[in-house]
Amino acid sequence: MRFRTSQIQRLLCRLILLSCCYTGLVNAHAVVTDHSLKLQAVSAGKASQVKLNFNSNIELGLSQVFLVRAGDVQEVLHVTAGKEPGVALIDMPALDAGVYALHYKIFAADGHITEDVIHFTIQP
Amino acid sequence: MEGIADFLDSIIGGIDLICYSLAIGGLIWGLFILHPWEYAHKQDKVQSILTEQTIRLIYKGAFALALVQFIKIILKIWLMDSILERWPFPEFASTTQFIGGIFRLSLAIALAAFVYSALRHNASSRQHWFNAAIIAGLMIISGAWLVHAAGRFEYRAILMALTTLHQVAAAVWIGGVFQLVGIWQLTRQKRIPDSYWPDSLRRFSRLGMIAVAAILLSGTPMALNYITSWNGFIGTGYGNILLVKILLLAIALGFAWLNRRAVLQYASAADKHDVFNRVPYYIEAETFVLITLLFTAASLASQPPAIDIPELTATWGEVLHSFAPRIPLTTSPSHAALLAGEAGRTAIIGQTPSAAATAWSDYNHNIAGIFVTVMSLFAMLSYRKSLTWTRYWPVGFIGLGIFILLRADAETWPNGTMGFWESMLENGEIFQHRIATLLVFLLGGIELRARMTSDPESKLPYIFPILCAFGGLMLLTHSHVGFQAKSSFLIQIGHTFMGLFALIMAIGRWLELKLDSPGKNIAGFISVFAFFQIGLILIFYQEPLY
Repeated sequence: MRFRTSQIQRLLCRLILLSCCYTGLVNAHAVVTDHSLKLQAVSAGKASQVKLNFNSNIELGLSQVFLVRAGDVQEVLHVTAGKEPGVALIDMPALDAGVYALHYKIFAADGHITEDVIHFTIQP
Repeated sequence: MEGIADFLDSIIGGIDLICYSLAIGGLIWGLFILHPWEYAHKQDKVQSILTEQTIRLIYKGAFALALVQFIKIILKIWLMDSILERWPFPEFASTTQFIGGIFRLSLAIALAAFVYSALRHNASSRQHWFNAAIIAGLMIISGAWLVHAAGRFEYRAILMALTTLHQVAAAVWIGGVFQLVGIWQLTRQKRIPDSYWPDSLRRFSRLGMIAVAAILLSGTPMALNYITSWNGFIGTGYGNILLVKILLLAIALGFAWLNRRAVLQYASAADKHDVFNRVPYYIEAETFVLITLLFTAASLASQPPAIDIPELTATWGEVLHSFAPRIPLTTSPSHAALLAGEAGRTAIIGQTPSAAATAWSDYNHNIAGIFVTVMSLFAMLSYRKSLTWTRYWPVGFIGLGIFILLRADAETWPNGTMGFWESMLENGEIFQHRIATLLVFLLGGIELRARMTSDPESKLPYIFPILCAFGGLMLLTHSHVGFQAKSSFLIQIGHTFMGLFALIMAIGRWLELKLDSPGKNIAGFISVFAFFQIGLILIFYQEPLY
């Protein structure tokens, strides 16, 4: 069997299109540079507000933050914009002592979507 | 489908920059090198052919840019819909990305339409060229709101301006190289006299040097702003990709220097050999490098700057440890041990690193490294006339393909409970792994046939370097930060260097096929050496425990 140039070109185009399907994780640009959980522990049994500082402007309307409980059960949390740019304020419900995480999906002003997790513990 | 949308979103950035370079670089070529208005009354047929080609590249680039910008918006909507699991409108309509994207799309269409419908028919009108430049200028400015500097808090305007200048300078250089490739085609087809080829090289030389100076002058302050320590340069994805960009730039400048030397030889001693028998192929190789550079630049824009992630920055020691020589892992953990650790490894609460998963991956990479290293050694031996049987070394790719097929996805056939077809239909990632495996089989099959063919006119040998370059580009573009950014970076760094070596292997093989001696032999050696380096990286590969 012999290949002609046009056949090779067609084969190449198909290969390139096929390999375009190879994939990876989510792009990231906005990252949390600081958060209030570092400075102030959340008290058990008391609703609170957590502050996340991002390294860039973010679009809150296109962002989501979840509270993750034991067993990876997730619930959506209400998020509002802080006074400074790049700040998100998260309303946390009253929580029992235990291990939790904040799972966030943030749409940055540069168009990249970041997905990450912050772990925290509530002491009794 | 989220994975496919994400990958296409990252790769479309490189395609966007190629189209941008064609359009903007072509326009600058017309304005500063061709000067078609100076030939308006001379009825110069050759000049008409050159101008026609430049204009064709500009409007094709601009139309493609408009299409790519449109696809970028669609991909962003698709990606948000997948990640947020809801329709992103009306919120997306008020974002800078959407508004800026629509502006850029409209201006790219306006540029393409103007060049196609007006400039093409008035190619020697200076006014039309300036009008096209004004539309292009507006489009360039609109793009400033789409770069990642637009989201920064400090020095936002300066960084946006520097990024835009950086893009334009790169477009001038790369767009100019595209023009040279086109002029060489015209020369080879005898549509223009031979003398235009060295003349075009000479005229582009000065503009190219200005463009490179502008790239460095705009890129250096940005790099210093985003990376403030050596550790940030070595120990983050941003620094790592910037390092690869610098290395690619150095390779491209090496080819530019060879071209310039040949042009100077032609000018001083009328030595035509290099200008006609080497420079065209150096430019083809330079094009490979520059296209990869554009994709790498697009990939850089998706990384968080090193300055923002000091706590997630790897140390020098951790980076060096990733490449430290060691005895490759030749025994794999059992499939049961791997599956037992998966639930803990992928959990958010109570996440437990899996030693079995790390060892499974290390084993896969190390064994693949043995395949590649042995193939590269046989490839080296194949240059000895007494060992002709070693030219069948690409058969190793088929063995490698079988190994990847059996090991890449532990949860599926033949190790896991999911069936071969069922897993492909239900899991997009497994489907993509299978496509990558198919590529490896094809790479082996095609190169084997290429080395066995007795047809001197066969084009088959050229497929291997093209696929290698494409593979390298995939590895370089494929740099992401997900959960656990530091672990992801330590995994990424080896793949990034493999991508760089894959590109070197591709251009080496390309030049080996195209050049005469001694360049051909040097290029062949570099190609096989790069292949050997990929083998070594894989053999010593070790993932962090995560």
